[in-house]
Amino acid sequence: MSAPTEAQIAHQELIDQLDIHSIHKSFRSPHWRPNQRRNKNIKTILGDASRKEASIVATPQDDSGAATPAAIENDGLSTSGASTPAAPASGAASLQPNLAQASRSLSRLALEKSLRPNGSGGAGGVASSAPSATYTNIESAPSLAHSRRYCDVTGLPAPYLDPKSRLRYHNIEVFGYIRSLPQGAPEQYLEARGAHTILK
Amino acid sequence: MAPSAIDPPVSAAVPALPVPDEKTYPPARIYPMKEMRFEKHTPPQPDGREKALAQSSGSAAIVIDNGSSAVRAGWSFESQPRLSLPPIMAKYRDRKLGKTYSFAGADCYADTTARGHIRNAFEAGTNIVSNWDVMEHVLDWTFLKLGMNSAEGSIDMPIVLTEAVVNLPYSRKSMNEIIFECYGAPSLATGIDSLFSYRYNKGQTGLVVSSSYSSTHVIPVYNSKAMLAQAIRLNWGGYQAAEYLLKLMRLKYPAFPGKLNASQAENMLRDHCYVSKAYDDEIRSYLDWSGLEDRDVVIQYPYTEEVIIQKSEEELARQAERKKESGRRLQEQAAKMRLERLVRKEQDLEYYKNVQEKLADANKKETKRLLDAEDMKDEAHLERTIKELEKSVKKARTKDVGGDPEEEQDVPSFELLDVPDDQLDDAGLKQKRQQRLMKANHDARARAKAEKEAEKARVEEEERADRERRENDLEGWLEEKRVARNDTLQRIKDRDRLKADLGNRKSLASQIRMKSIANLASDGPRVKRRRGGDDDNFGANDDDWGVYRQIAVGENASDDEEGEEDLLGNLKMLEEDLLRYDESFTHEDTFEAQTNWSKSLLHAFLRGPRPFNVGAQSEIHQLHLNVERIRVPEVVFQPSIAGVDQAGLVEIASDILNQRLVGIPNINRDDFLRDVFLTGGNTLFENFDDRLRQGLTASLPADSPLRIRRASDPVLDAWKGAAEWVGSSGYKTATVTRAEWQEKGGDYIKEHELGNSYA
Repeated sequence: MSAPTEAQIAHQELIDQLDIHSIHKSFRSPHWRPNQRRNKNIKTILGDASRKEASIVATPQDDSGAATPAAIENDGLSTSGASTPAAPASGAASLQPNLAQASRSLSRLALEKSLRPNGSGGAGGVASSAPSATYTNIESAPSLAHSRRYCDVTGLPAPYLDPKSRLRYHNIEVFGYIRSLPQGAPEQYLEARGAHTILK
Repeated sequence: MAPSAIDPPVSAAVPALPVPDEKTYPPARIYPMKEMRFEKHTPPQPDGREKALAQSSGSAAIVIDNGSSAVRAGWSFESQPRLSLPPIMAKYRDRKLGKTYSFAGADCYADTTARGHIRNAFEAGTNIVSNWDVMEHVLDWTFLKLGMNSAEGSIDMPIVLTEAVVNLPYSRKSMNEIIFECYGAPSLATGIDSLFSYRYNKGQTGLVVSSSYSSTHVIPVYNSKAMLAQAIRLNWGGYQAAEYLLKLMRLKYPAFPGKLNASQAENMLRDHCYVSKAYDDEIRSYLDWSGLEDRDVVIQYPYTEEVIIQKSEEELARQAERKKESGRRLQEQAAKMRLERLVRKEQDLEYYKNVQEKLADANKKETKRLLDAEDMKDEAHLERTIKELEKSVKKARTKDVGGDPEEEQDVPSFELLDVPDDQLDDAGLKQKRQQRLMKANHDARARAKAEKEAEKARVEEEERADRERRENDLEGWLEEKRVARNDTLQRIKDRDRLKADLGNRKSLASQIRMKSIANLASDGPRVKRRRGGDDDNFGANDDDWGVYRQIAVGENASDDEEGEEDLLGNLKMLEEDLLRYDESFTHEDTFEAQTNWSKSLLHAFLRGPRPFNVGAQSEIHQLHLNVERIRVPEVVFQPSIAGVDQAGLVEIASDILNQRLVGIPNINRDDFLRDVFLTGGNTLFENFDDRLRQGLTASLPADSPLRIRRASDPVLDAWKGAAEWVGSSGYKTATVTRAEWQEKGGDYIKEHELGNSYA
């Protein structure tokens, strides 16, 4: 093997300088051991949360009294809004809506819960009267407006649709181009518009 | 030679082809490709911490705007964030050195190996952190560079963090865990970035429109208090726009030799895209030729020019000379050899003539001896040899002189042919046979010559008739040519259609072809046979064989090409005639011009308003942005363009203003209209505010007091607002201390005006 060139040596020095692995970070707690499975995507987080909701509801609260919900809260894995200190505070009053929550989604649940009069946080009359927002329920609804059609290739207004590839096109020249596309390419054009076929 | 060329009056009658005018093009606007690069090493800045320690306790904090495009961090008492880094990290182990490397932020781009290991803290396309290891690394880097490594065991400064609008409880819990347990911070305050930006821009009541890197939010704010329950999120931001642009460019140039990545698309988006004020009108004429020059933007990717060795004039001349020289040498050699052979033959001839003379006055015995010495059978043999030699000598001589031996050859005598066989001896018969052959040969040659002459005369006659017709009845002649041209065009079209049809297995053309193949291949009795005789008569008609030609079309490319050349050549000749004599027919009307790039919409789309040189490496490595410049930013107003099934920004804003904010007691809807506030990197597009104004005006009552303003710095104002907020009364009530966190739980926060509610 040849000796490293000057550029290689300089690059190695730069990398060593940039590396933060070898630097001792005195500001970090030496006892910090993160949960190995803390990385979750949104889907998992929402799924876990709604499962948690369901399990709270399934627990027979009448029989076990306050002990069961408290145990759930203290398990350290609590992720949902329902297991926060606010939940036991409402006590028996929350029992009735809780039973109805079993089959509902998290967003509906949160919405309902916030409809309960609570005097929390000095939020003022405006905010507290409205249902509380969650990550899922603030998402914009589908548009009610009529969507315009644009050529999948050129982006120009598209009055035509190729029945074979399902692509929209602007004029006959673009049509000729569409027909000359290799296999699979029309599907990619559709994917850019979110109209492709998804096989599961 | 064609007679028309020698004939001066005729050649004068053929007018020259009109020359089309050459167009010149102004130089294109070419921009170099830009992408995220490693700039330089960021040294730790301990001075910030020293200043912070000097401040009275509680008034200084580390402010981190934890955004998905960039994490911006600095000290609350400063006016600018000190650090800005993308929320990424790269970690890998160098096996050769036995060392683990990890980088964060833009440092990841310094090394190729590191670049391959980049991971993002945020879930792609959202504002939610999903990879906490990366997040921790990014925070490590941030704290290191802020000079916090002198702190022992914990970060001894309060921290202010921004988080997503209605952050997920799990995310908040994980973040709190890291801040309090890993870094041991004394307190943490969280808030929403766009609200910090609004606060920094002195907003009280209004509609905050925050279009940032991973999402777009519309949040009404009343008396400095966000009404999060009325907020709406659209899942579209700079990240999605860049990905969409990237997708479009990959589809537009499927064979692009350079590597396209999202960071390049982000730069293109930032530099060249803008929001159209009237999208439908503008896009309709976007690829029109007039003004395309201004609308088309060229992005040049790096390339290496192919080296073409330019030979100097002198060198070329020398090369040609060398070639000529060697040719001459060969010719000389050949001539020399020919001469030698000729001399030898002449000597032979001389010798045999001598022999013949000797034979003339020799007796029989002597003759026999002489002939035997020469290996000859008899005198006739000798005579023949002499004759042959004479002929070849003559031929060689004429060749050297340069005459045509064929022409000069006189008609050989065929006198023996008329003599009946029985009057001839053996030698005579042989000679007669030879003469017959020669005669046939001679006659055939003469016939071919006559035929050639006749053909020449016929063409001449045709041309003359054509000319005559043109001179007498120009209109009729032109009409004929036009019809012929249209016919050729139609045939070209038909052929193309047939070709396309044969490509489709289900088309009629393909099916007919398959049928004839099956018919030809089958040995068994055919349908025909049942009707008629046993023989199908295939081949009786010459046209029958055409079936093989038919089934070969489409597979046999050379055959196909030949036909194409023929049609195109025909068309070209017809068009030349029309160009010469028809004043209304110009170069613009020719088939070539009609199918030229300057008539092609797709050419305008792919290559802009200039001809495309396939051979130029520089042009192959160019991307043309034209329609995309308004198509991509438009998605935030019409998400359906990119297949996002959500309402557009205008629809969302007008829904909030017209539906959600009316009917709430003590609230005047018009207060919000007076201050529509734009913040976030995705609102930086030119005309973004105009477009929103137009859209909202259309959905509001006529004299609504609509006012739209942009943040003074849509990108950094969130951090600045957060920094300014530190020390205010709102900040003091919003901070969660370590003790409170330990007592109240993982995702505990205090509700405040600029933050999320505690669900």
